[in-house]
Formats: sequence, structure tokens, C-alpha cells
Amino acid sequence: MLLPSRPSRVAAWVLFFVLFVPVFGLPIVVVGAASVAGQWNDVLPSHLTLRHLHDAFVSNAGIELLTSLATGIIASVVALVIGTWAALAVRALRRRGAKVIGTLFVLPIAVPSVSVGLGLLVAFSRPPFLLNGTSVIVVIAHVVLVTAFAFSSVSAGLARLPAHFEQVAASLGGRPAYVLFRVTLPLLTPSLVAAAGLCFALSMGELGATIMVYPPGWVTLPVGIFALTDRGAVFDGAALTVLLLVLTLVVLVAVSRIRTRASYR
Amino acid sequence: MTAATALLAADAPAARRTGIPAWIWVVVPLAVLAVIFYYPLFFILRQSFTGEGGHPSLAPYAEMLSSPLFRGALLRTIQIASLSTLGCLALGFVLALIVSFVPFPGARVVSGFIGTFLAFPSFLIALAFTFLYGSAGVFNFVAMDISGATQPPIDFVYTKWGVILAEITFYTPFVMRPLLAAFSQLDTALIEVASSLGARPLRIIREVIVPEAVPALLAGGSLCLLLTLNEFGIVLFIGAKGVITLPMVIYGKAIQEFDYTAGCVVAVVNITLSVGLYALYRFLVSRSGGGRASAVQA
Amino acid sequence: MADAAVMPGFPRAAAGAKAAVRARPGIRFDRVTVAYRSTVALADFSLDVEPGEVMALLGPSGSGKTTALRTVAGFVTPTSGRVFLGDTDVTSMPAHQRGIGMVVQQYALFPHMRVEQNVAFGLRAAGASRATIAPRVTECLTMVGMAAYARRYPHELSGGQQQRVAIARALAIRPRVLLLDEPLSALDAQLRSGMLNEIARLHRELPDVTILYVTHDQVEALTLADRIAVMNDSRLVDVGTAQSLYQQPPSDFTATFVGNANLVPVTVEAFDAARQEARVRFAACSVVVRANGGVTPGERRTLCVRPHALALEPPAAGANAIEARVVEVQWRGSAHRLYLEIDGIELRADSKPLREPPHRGERLIVHFAAHDATLLAAAQADRGSADHRG
Ligand SMILES: Nc1ncnc2c1ncn2[C@@H]1O[C@H](COP(=O)(O)OP(=O)(O)OP(=O)(O)O)[C@@H](O)[C@H]1O
Ligand SMILES: [Mg+2]
Repeated sequence: MLLPSRPSRVAAWVLFFVLFVPVFGLPIVVVGAASVAGQWNDVLPSHLTLRHLHDAFVSNAGIELLTSLATGIIASVVALVIGTWAALAVRALRRRGAKVIGTLFVLPIAVPSVSVGLGLLVAFSRPPFLLNGTSVIVVIAHVVLVTAFAFSSVSAGLARLPAHFEQVAASLGGRPAYVLFRVTLPLLTPSLVAAAGLCFALSMGELGATIMVYPPGWVTLPVGIFALTDRGAVFDGAALTVLLLVLTLVVLVAVSRIRTRASYR
Repeated sequence: MTAATALLAADAPAARRTGIPAWIWVVVPLAVLAVIFYYPLFFILRQSFTGEGGHPSLAPYAEMLSSPLFRGALLRTIQIASLSTLGCLALGFVLALIVSFVPFPGARVVSGFIGTFLAFPSFLIALAFTFLYGSAGVFNFVAMDISGATQPPIDFVYTKWGVILAEITFYTPFVMRPLLAAFSQLDTALIEVASSLGARPLRIIREVIVPEAVPALLAGGSLCLLLTLNEFGIVLFIGAKGVITLPMVIYGKAIQEFDYTAGCVVAVVNITLSVGLYALYRFLVSRSGGGRASAVQA
Repeated sequence: MADAAVMPGFPRAAAGAKAAVRARPGIRFDRVTVAYRSTVALADFSLDVEPGEVMALLGPSGSGKTTALRTVAGFVTPTSGRVFLGDTDVTSMPAHQRGIGMVVQQYALFPHMRVEQNVAFGLRAAGASRATIAPRVTECLTMVGMAAYARRYPHELSGGQQQRVAIARALAIRPRVLLLDEPLSALDAQLRSGMLNEIARLHRELPDVTILYVTHDQVEALTLADRIAVMNDSRLVDVGTAQSLYQQPPSDFTATFVGNANLVPVTVEAFDAARQEARVRFAACSVVVRANGGVTPGERRTLCVRPHALALEPPAAGANAIEARVVEVQWRGSAHRLYLEIDGIELRADSKPLREPPHRGERLIVHFAAHDATLLAAAQADRGSADHRG
């Protein structure tokens, strides 16, 4: 197409891989290698071992993993409910109103996560909301940060949903709530699942807001990883990072599986 | 008309439906958001104007805005963000161009990989960089081995360039995504016609592809700028003494020095900067078409 | 929610199927106007559809047909004016309380439900019992010949099959009013004529159902409809039986849109009141045409004659003969279309396929019987002759 001659195409591909593989592939490979490296005093790591993963678990990684999972799941579910509700409600507004309210829901995307954390710290350290030092404040921080993504992802799904499905359902006598649960939400399943996966992945990797608000008893995996690398245990940190990536990847793959199945019907 | 009916898709011409208005339904999620997001935002603002003894005051601003720490951080943040964004745009454009117009068997895998990359935490890159280019990293080992030096010769990771390179790595997919979407909408017949008329590839890129890509480049670029302005994980993990950005100042003031007021002042500046950029981003996206907007956001 | 207030006289389908026979509502549009921000989609639209009648809304794209239909369904609220089902003003009644069956152009079968679940949707929504749903679903699917496909998902069906299921789904709630919005437009030509017959048969089987049928295809309208409402530019232009609109179009727009007539500005020379015929002149020709209701000599009128009424055969007694120059000849399989010209006036003639079609520039004589032509009020007759597509 663009490059008709084969040599020039091959040159473009070579350029692509020269850029793509080191830039995106190398970091992941390196972290993966470090997570099982007993020693790394050469070009390649040596004395491959699972000790780092084991060590990390012997200390706190197990609890941190559970903490991250719990935070991620709760935050994703809450964000999905709020985001979906908001997306449905905003759709029913007039154009101008929908624009204004919609912006209010996506604005958290623009606010730095560290500032979100700081705000929660300042606001929730005084009555009526005394949440500083509890796990709730961590979950809230995650909800704030991922709801905007849930909202915009579900809104995009709703915008793609042709109006005639719901209209036909109503003309057949379906009451609004019936149509919502029998037609709208089922047709929205791919968007909902995608939004859930995205929220979970983002929550699993969240660092900026968490590090501002976490209490000693609710340390998430990224915070734990930072603590490890900060005191020089970089291989243990790499091991936990790999664990985090694998977990995120598993969820994303599962989500895309569910998604293709849901949209196939 | 019942209120719930309003939740169904219906075109609403000039005449409105009667009964409970549609906005009732937006109250619940909006209230939740107000409590968990806008209420804290308000407190950041209020705290930033609180002087000694808890009285309203402009003193925190005067103090912070004149401090070299803050000025340096502001300048560095903007510098790092703009350079990173330019890098992302260049790299992203080239890569998206090849994936879209010089397709190869694995191109779809690449697109999938890029989608996944967006969901990874940014500190992953910083961590990788310390293994690759850190003082005890692979490249330094090789360099010392060859040159026989006793000190690690490669130390750019601990400068702003390390941060910039890491941010380019992490945020390039954010530019590629809207670009790939824009390119997939570009009629390939245009390119075929252009090349049948004898146009060279560079000319086609300049006159056919770039004009189509401008909205996506603007949208992706401003999103990238926004995210790099707010980037925290990469800077924190690289942990270079000399590379302090606004989010790092906020973290340092509030968590390490317990000076919430100073942190809030910096936060107000940082938020103003990024919300302004975000407004620009939304404007650009709305001009380049809603379909692409969702490609960027989702 | 206030939907306990189901319309009196309009019991919900599944619950009160017997009562539905008594209530045979027509549809009445009373000066309905629908305005979107900048466009008026429907302007001062008044139309009465009799109970049990098939009314076709016929008009070019963007003329407001769908908008009119959607005001009946309840998805568009009129800016002004009222919509009635029978005697009940439904203008602001929610769609789900109207008991109307609707089939849209895209079919809109719920992709996550099997065919049988799709058909059962309205019955379930009304809270019908399992025991009544199953036989009703089978009955409706049988009616459209789709009983064998009950367990399939919509994406496993062809376009025509989806179409049938969409109709079965609309019929399942025993609607008193059925709205069809270009239901055949997504089908290929052959399937379309088959489905046209099916819909005509369904109407014979369900004589109580009032049908509003939106189309831009005059063949569909002429085949199915008891009456046709012709729309243009968001207004109702004419309404009448298919036959009367075709044979005596009240306006030049209808004459062109229904049957693609030739329109020629003429001057009346004489009027024969006994035979209700007038002698009119255009260019150098003088012809005799039907003129019901009378005209006065000297008056300017528009002559309307269908392309297929213009024949090349030798004249039968009393026919008009005019000499014209051949501008263009097109073969259309079942006919030859001749574009003719007489002193700057263009005429289209459809003849049977010709062994030896005339050549361009040739002069020939075409004939038409006086009763195949009619006179309209003088108007911008150029609109008809400008149409080369027909
Ligand atoms: N939701 C809407 N918002 C704004 N304008 C609209 C809307 N729906 C329809 N219109 C406008 O109203 C006019 C009538 O549209 P309508 O859909 O009724 O036409 P139609 O006769 O059904 O045409 P077609 O044969 O193409 O389906 C058109 O000019 C259209 O652009
Ligand atoms: Mg229409």
C-alpha cells in the first residue's frame, strides 16, 4: 500500500522492531528476569531462583496481595455501579445538562492522583467524616480515581447502543425498569465487563493516591513494592511487580474472553 | 410520564415530557461523587488559604510561590511533561504509521499489547530502568567491563532525562491508541489513488495521512501532556535527588513534613494546570469527533 | 411509577385479549407539529386512520414519515397538536402503555435472546403466565412461518427471517395498532415482493388491526394500502385511496411521486360538459383529455399523463396522437423507456419491449387515450419533466 516495494516494507518493519522491542518489550523482560535472578552481575542474570517471591511472601506480600485484591474488587464494583448509574442518568438529560454533568463525572481523570489523596487526607481527618487511618479511605481514593473511567467507558457503550432496541421494548409494553434490566443492561454487558476490567487493572496499579492515605494496616501491593525497592530489595520488588502484572493480565484476558462471548450473541 | 421512562432512550424535541424530571436520577451518583471528590477538592482549596493560627490568609501562597523548591519543581514538571509528550508523539506516530499502513502478520498482536500496556502501573518502567541503566544495571556493567572504569559511566537515569525516557516509554501507547483508531478510519483507497498518481510515500504521509491524523495527534498529545504533568510513580521509583516534580513536592510536604497547607498550595497549582489542560483536551477531542474520544478514554 | 393507569378501553394485550376485539381504535393526528432544534420534522399534520385500515405514509426521504409514526408509538412528543388512539388522547402517554406493535427498519431483535424469547418479550413484560405465553409464541411464529427457528439467536437468521420474527414479536401482544417503518427496505428485491405478499396475507388474517405503514416505495404502498397519505417536506400533501391517487392525482407532487407522471403545462381551448372532456393545447399539439369537474377555455392547467399510457401503436378510435423527437432510448428489461421531446417539452414513454427500438433523433408518433390523461391545477409542472430517474 504505502510502501509498494518489498525492501522498503522490510526496512519499515525492521525500524518498527528496532523501536518497539527495546522500548516496550525490554522493560517487561528485564523485570521478569530480575524477579527470578539470584544474582545479576553480568549481562544476563544468573542463579535463577524463586527465592524473591518466597521471601516477599514470607514477609508481607501475601497480605498486601489480598489487600490489593480486596481494594481492587470493592473499588471496581462500587465504581461500576456509580459509573453505570451516572451514565444512564446523564443520557436522559438534555444536551446542555448532559454535557455539564458528564464533565463533573470525568473531571477526576484530570486531577493528579497525589492531589486526590491529599484532598481525602485533609477532608476526611475532621468531622463529619473521620476516615483517616482506616482502610475505607484507601478504597474511596481508588473509587474516585476509577469511577471516571467506568463512567466514560459505559457512556461510550450507551452511545453506541442503537435507540431502537429500547424503543421497541417499550412499545411491546416493557416498563422502564423492565426494559433497563432485560434489554439495556444485557446489551451493555460488553461495555460493563470492559469497564470492570479496566477499573480493576487501574486500581491494582494505583500508587499516587494510595501512598498519601494508606494506614499501616492496609498496604497495597504497589506501596509494598515501593517500600521494598526503597530499601534496596529491588529483586523482591521485581518479583512482586511480576505477580501484579500476571494478575492484571489474567483479569484482562478473562475480561476480553467474556466480552467477545457477550458481544457474539 | 414517569421519571423512570426518562431513563429510556427517547429523542426529546422541543416539547418536554411532564412529571418527575430526568435529573432526579442523576442526584444519587452526583451526591456520592460530591462527597468523595468535590468535598475533598474544596478542602484542598480551603487549606491552601489557611495561614498560621487557622485564619484565612494568602501567606501560604506568597511563601510557596517564592520558594526555589517550588519554582524549580514547576519548571521541571512542565519541561519533563512537554519533552515527554513530544517524544511520545514522534515515537507513537512512527509506530502507528507502520502498524496501520505497512501491516505485518503480528500487527494485531501489537495493537492488543498496546491496549494491555495502558493498564499496567507506570512504576514498572521505572523499575525496569533501574535494572537496565541504573548504577548497578546491565548497561553500566557492560560499560565498566569494556572500559575498565570503576565508576558506573551511565547515570542519565538519575537525571530528568531518565524520567523523560521512562515517561515516553510508558505514555507512547496513549498516543498510539487514538492514532490507530484514526488511521483505521482513513480510507485506504485514498492512499492507493495517491500512489497510483505517482506520489512518493513521504508525500502521501505529508499530504494524505498527516492531515487525517492531526485531530488524533492533538487529542493524544494533550492527554499525554496531562498525564505526564501528573505522573508520580515513575519519579518516585527512580528517586533521583535532583528531579523533583509538583506531585513529588505535594508528597514530600504533606507526608514527609506533615505540612498540609504547603502541600495544598502546590496541589491547587497542579490541579489548575491539569484541569486547564484537560479542558483543552476535551475541546480538541470534541472537534475531532466523539468516536475517537471514546477510543482515548476507554 | 404511574403505569397502573392503563388506558380504559385498551386492556393490555395478553391479559384481556377478548376485549381487544371490541376496541378497534383508529389513529388520529390532530394538527401535530414536531420541531427539533432547527428542523421542523412534521408540520401541522392531520390525518385520520380508520380502524382496521392499512394506511401507507408515502414520501421521499426526510419528509417526516418516521417522525409521524414515532409520535404514535410515543417516542416523539409533539411540540403541538394531539395524537389519538380511538377516542383516547395518547399525546403524553408513555410508550409502554400504548399497546402498539412496532416493527422498525433495523428489526431490532434483541440479540441476547432466542427467537422465542424475543416473541415472548411483550407477554412477559405484561406479566402473562407461562401457560399462556408458550402457545401464543408458537401461534405467532407459525403465522409468519418461523416456528422451526424458535430456539435460534437472531444472528443465526437471515434478514428476511429476522424480519418475520420482528413481525411475530409485534403481533404477539395482540396490538390494535401495528406500526411498520420501512419494514422491507433492508431486503433484496425478490425477498421484498415475497414479504409484501406475506404482510398482505397477515392483514387479511387480522382484519381488526389498524396498520400504519411507512414507505418511500410506491409499489409497496399501492399493493398494501387501503389509503395512501402522501407526504413531502414534513407536510401531508394528499390522502386518498391508492386508485384515486394514481388515476386522478390531486396535486402535481403526488402525480410525480406516485407513478412518475409526465406533467405538461397546457392551455384549455374548449370544454365538452357532456363528456367531461376538454381540448387543451401545448406547443403545436392539441389533445383531448378527461376533465372531471369542468374547466373554462383560456385557463392554464397541467396535463398529467403516465409514461405507460403513451403508446407507439397505431391509434385506437378517439386517441390523441402527437409527434415527438426521440432524445434517448433505454432498455429496462420489461420495457423500453423513451425520452421524447416536443418543442422543448420533455415526455417519458414506457412501451413494451420493442423489436426495433427507434433511434435517437428519429421522429415518431405517440398516442394516448383521453381517459388516461387528466388535468391538474396549473403548477410548477417542470418538477415532473425534470425527473429522469423514474
Ligand atoms: N432526532 C432528530 N433530531 C433532529 N432532526 C431530526 C431528528 N429525527 C429526524 N429529524 C429530521 O426531521 C426530518 C424528518 O425526518 P424523518 O425521519 O421523519 O424522515 P423520513 O420521512 O422517515 O425519511 P426516510 O425515508 O429517510 O426515513 C428530517 O429532516 C430529519 O433530518
Ligand atoms: Mg424514516
